[in-house]
Amino acid sequence: MELEELQQVWTELSQEVEKQKKLNHKIIMEMTQQKYRRKFDKITRYETAGTVICILSAGFVLFNFDKLDTFFYQACGIFAIAFLVVLPTSVLLALRKIKAIDLINNPYKDTIVAYTKAKNRLLFLQRIGIFSSFIFFFVTLALTGKIMNDKDVFQETEIWYFIVLVLIGLLFFSRWGYRMYLKITGSAEDLIEDIKP
Amino acid sequence: MTKEEAFVAIIQEHEGVIYKITTVYTNSVSEQQDLYQDIVYQLWTAYDSFRNESKISTWMYRVALNTAFSRIRKEKRQPRAVTLDHLNIRQAEPYDKQFEERLQAMYEQIDQLNSLDKGLILLVLEGKKYEEIGEITGLSKTNVGTRISRIKERLRNKMTKKA
Repeated sequence: MELEELQQVWTELSQEVEKQKKLNHKIIMEMTQQKYRRKFDKITRYETAGTVICILSAGFVLFNFDKLDTFFYQACGIFAIAFLVVLPTSVLLALRKIKAIDLINNPYKDTIVAYTKAKNRLLFLQRIGIFSSFIFFFVTLALTGKIMNDKDVFQETEIWYFIVLVLIGLLFFSRWGYRMYLKITGSAEDLIEDIKP
Repeated sequence: MTKEEAFVAIIQEHEGVIYKITTVYTNSVSEQQDLYQDIVYQLWTAYDSFRNESKISTWMYRVALNTAFSRIRKEKRQPRAVTLDHLNIRQAEPYDKQFEERLQAMYEQIDQLNSLDKGLILLVLEGKKYEEIGEITGLSKTNVGTRISRIKERLRNKMTKKA
């Protein structure tokens, strides 16, 4: 195809495209907002999958609650169920809130205030999650031992090697997860900065 | 007219241009939609910096092509699977068969060019003068002329080889 032929096809294409205009005000302005929302899409997918696993685990503990025969185990069970239900749900709600911020229709100042509030809440929940996950780990061990084998796992010496390993892994994973949140919220903040009037 | 209304009016007037740019620089429907969205977003964020020193279309082409280039650079760093579905994405409604074939042949030719040359040929096909192409791409008028001659030569050679 010579340039002249390309030109001819391109002109015809331009005419066709002109005939097919389909964007309206709403679609155009939504496009400017989509990019902001997409920043949180990936993390929302991970958190949703995590929430499903947590809810199922809470169901498992609840289903076996009758096996928890002492006050200590019952307290552990209640803590585990509360942790597995409340925290992931709160994180999902916080993510929903941060995604719902209207960058277009709200005044810039309101957007900044709403975003800062939502971001702080999200990061606060993450910090709570990190600290309580260490307690949750010990609670899970105690509950698993009791529910599965009806024994106190902490009496076994080998378990402490496993605990040390998991704690180190948990420490790294928590830092990585928190940094990921910082990165995403930081990059969303840059987007908001871009639309500063 | 508010800033938002003025922006929307400009996008509506030039939506065809954005569509054509996205078809040249992408290979799948989802990529095209993403790039389209990115371009509109970048135009919105850059809208305040538009000072009427150049034509609005010149500014639009510049922002749109830069967005496409930076996306290509990003994809080179993070390669991903590409579905080659050229014809399907390049039309909103079905065209007649003959036109579709010519269109596909045109895209095949353009696809063989590198990203800058794609942008240059696109601007030539849009009927832009070398001076405006220079303004959009940041190249000198002479450089634009030389590059376009080379592109024409390459297209001609490809045709001869094919024949």
